[in-house]
Amino acid sequence: MNQHDQYQGTGPNRRSVLKGAAGAAALGTTGALGALTERALAQDNLRARILQIPGVGKGAPTDADWQKVGELCLEPTKANVKEGEFKGVELSFMGLNNQNLHNLLFRGFLKPWEAYTGAKISWIDLAQADYNPRLQQAIATGTVDFDILEMGAPFEGDVCGKGLASEMPDWVKKQIDIDDYVDYLKPPVGTWNGKTYRVTIDGDCHNFNYRTDYFSDPALAKAWKDAGNQGEWGVPKTWQQVQAVTKFLKGKKIKGQNAFGYLDAPKPWGGFGFYFLGSRASAYAKHPDDKAWLFDVDTMKPRINNPGWVRAIQDVIDALPSEPADQLNADPNTTGFQQFLAGIGSMIPWWGDIGQVAKASDTSVVGDIVGFDILPGSDDVYNAKTGNWDKLASGPNHAPNCAYLGWGVYVMARVAGDERKHKAAWSAAAHLGGKDLSLWTVMYPSGFQVHRTSHSSIDEWVAAGYDRKYITSYLNSQFSSYNHPNRAVEPRIPGIFQYYSIAEDELTKIFAGKASAQAGADNIAAAWEKLTDQIGREKQIALYKASLG
Amino acid sequence: MGRALIVLASLGGALILLVQILHTTGTIAAGFADWRPVLYAYLVWTVAFAVGQVMARGQRGLRALFLLPAVLFTVAVVIFPTLFGFYIASLDWNLSSFAGPHFNGLGNLIGLFNDSYYWNALGNMLFYTTAVLGEYAIAFGLALLLNAEIRGRKFFRVVFLLPLMLSPVAVSWMIGKSIMEYRFGPAATLARTLGWDNPAFFASPWIARFSIEAMDAWVSIPFIMIMLLAGLQAMPKEVLEAAKVDGAGGWQSFRHVTFPIMLPVSVTVLLIRMIFKLKLADIVINVTAGGPGGATDTVSSFIYRVYRDRSNVGYGTGLAMFYLLMIIVLLTVLLRLSRRWTQKVA
Repeated sequence: MNQHDQYQGTGPNRRSVLKGAAGAAALGTTGALGALTERALAQDNLRARILQIPGVGKGAPTDADWQKVGELCLEPTKANVKEGEFKGVELSFMGLNNQNLHNLLFRGFLKPWEAYTGAKISWIDLAQADYNPRLQQAIATGTVDFDILEMGAPFEGDVCGKGLASEMPDWVKKQIDIDDYVDYLKPPVGTWNGKTYRVTIDGDCHNFNYRTDYFSDPALAKAWKDAGNQGEWGVPKTWQQVQAVTKFLKGKKIKGQNAFGYLDAPKPWGGFGFYFLGSRASAYAKHPDDKAWLFDVDTMKPRINNPGWVRAIQDVIDALPSEPADQLNADPNTTGFQQFLAGIGSMIPWWGDIGQVAKASDTSVVGDIVGFDILPGSDDVYNAKTGNWDKLASGPNHAPNCAYLGWGVYVMARVAGDERKHKAAWSAAAHLGGKDLSLWTVMYPSGFQVHRTSHSSIDEWVAAGYDRKYITSYLNSQFSSYNHPNRAVEPRIPGIFQYYSIAEDELTKIFAGKASAQAGADNIAAAWEKLTDQIGREKQIALYKASLG
Repeated sequence: MGRALIVLASLGGALILLVQILHTTGTIAAGFADWRPVLYAYLVWTVAFAVGQVMARGQRGLRALFLLPAVLFTVAVVIFPTLFGFYIASLDWNLSSFAGPHFNGLGNLIGLFNDSYYWNALGNMLFYTTAVLGEYAIAFGLALLLNAEIRGRKFFRVVFLLPLMLSPVAVSWMIGKSIMEYRFGPAATLARTLGWDNPAFFASPWIARFSIEAMDAWVSIPFIMIMLLAGLQAMPKEVLEAAKVDGAGGWQSFRHVTFPIMLPVSVTVLLIRMIFKLKLADIVINVTAGGPGGATDTVSSFIYRVYRDRSNVGYGTGLAMFYLLMIIVLLTVLLRLSRRWTQKVA
């Protein structure tokens, strides 16, 4: 949080730009500087305009809004592409349709781009759970049938490592202002063997979402004290506190409804559900002196069955009886969108979508009563090297789970033979990853979260309609996770979702009481060892090391 | 001349196939970019084979042409894919593997015997398949009802058929994820009104199993019912009237006349329904993902995860092929038993 505050003091924001521009004008400087100032003001004006489409709290944006934003953000494209330059070019775009977002937004954003450039785009829409198999199959069978791909960084080993992606041209780097990305999304993320491949459109980490009304409720505070609990009633800062609060809330009422604490997501979700155990485990298993937390670096020996991870699994087992009765059949989508945003439960980890949707979508009933933080810490952390639990002198160990590293837009190498197609594909990708357009996507429901330093200007968020306190809390949770020195970063190794999927299967057995935490974790470790051998241990070790930096 | 044409076409086809195999395995550089030319070679061969038959065997060859397209089509879309499936089942092939596919012998088969998930799913299949008898009993009751002279018979026939026309995926969402939803689902609300405090239909093993079975039964009972109804309508009325004259009551008529006459239809419909049941996957995947703790998992939904989520093509195909063999053996045994039983009752 301190780092974020520090950053905010030094980074450009709307106010500082205006201040600087006014000062320069007063000094009567050269015409060139005047032109620069005009451009800055025009951009500033543009950002202010797009953020009013439709305006936060004025209903969910529609296709008309997406098209309007796409139209207004066309200037960078016009600077590099002549009108009608791609007439006759046809491109295929593969991406997701989660929660009717992603590709649906891209269609709207790219419609004005298509009208201006003359290119036509056909769409391959995939549900989240279908994404991995469709991509893997295309890679393995050499049937890449798309020119542009929406993809997460974990798949870079599969795609860029196999020469299937096109290297980003320099004009694209300039158009999208690639240096504006937050540090953790800069190389090696988005690159392979020193070449840049990705237009980043998202930043992913799990943050901690909680209900402010629960933790300011006097009746609950009194009951907490009356029950003889230690400390004041408040937002948990450690997993130990999360467990205590979850158990305490069982059987309690708030606003006449059943109160619940933390919501786990035990039902498999195509591998993505494993991130949610990861968020519980990172504070226990990610030691500040060790970059690795999932496997041993030199051998790829799984750590999933070490005491740190097993403690996290045991926490889920212990918490489930205090969660809603059908929680065993809840996947992350259920916990986020059908429970938490619908007013059930008081704490969940999720990607930043919750903060966006809570405030800017009609589907949420908790827009004014949500707070954010980085993931809880732990009073002690397991040291895989020594086999001991360490208590850090600095206090609880925090290790934000940088799960998935965000979505990016990639251009496939198959466009390389056709110069016009190559430029068209990169122009489309650059339009979607444009600096101004990205500000809109991170403020409204889109499936994408903050990923540029320029997204941290709170004034811009407030001007769009966000409550200052709310958005400060949200952005602090995001940027403090990205910039955390002990962040747990996703390994970009081939087949990573296979590991996760195997784990999900075994975890559901553990949570249903068919195996103990340790026995189940041992089963996962054995299956992971087998998978590593099947994929190729030596190469996996090398890629795991590279992904840790 | 005809024979020479067939031999020539066969040699040409075999050569193209061999070249492509050697090219794909990296033995030789020459070859095609994909397998499409091999398909074209097969089509050319079929034409040459047909022409050769007529030239070599005259009228008999001409007669063979009536059958040949069906045989060659079956070879292309049933026999070859099945054999190819057995070949894939013998590979260690993970789509993410750096080494690519390689021969694994009986490795997948041995792995399968040690796979607790597979055997758990098979155990669940035993439950789901046995439940077909319950579906049959309900469907028979409904068929008898719709066969009787009741008011609005035509209307009910159409209404009872509606679930069959729904996609199981739609049923998963409409029923499993909406009507049976714990918080707002009408079924959950009704259950609460009736005194069930926590109506979680998918959180404990047996309730989840029965809930999945109920949904699948809802979709499939109309199918059994319509088959049985067709059988009832084709039944000679005189036999029932004769039984009535002899003083048989409703139950006696059913037990000693209707049921035995309907037995061949019943056996057919039960076997068809079992085949469908053994492939149950969509509702499970959408509603429970096999949980809680594998309680609702089916063989097909497990294979789906192995193949789709884990890209384990060789092992997934091995599981599917072994399951295919099991189904063939099971149905053959059931057919024989039912034939004997039907003869005995008749």
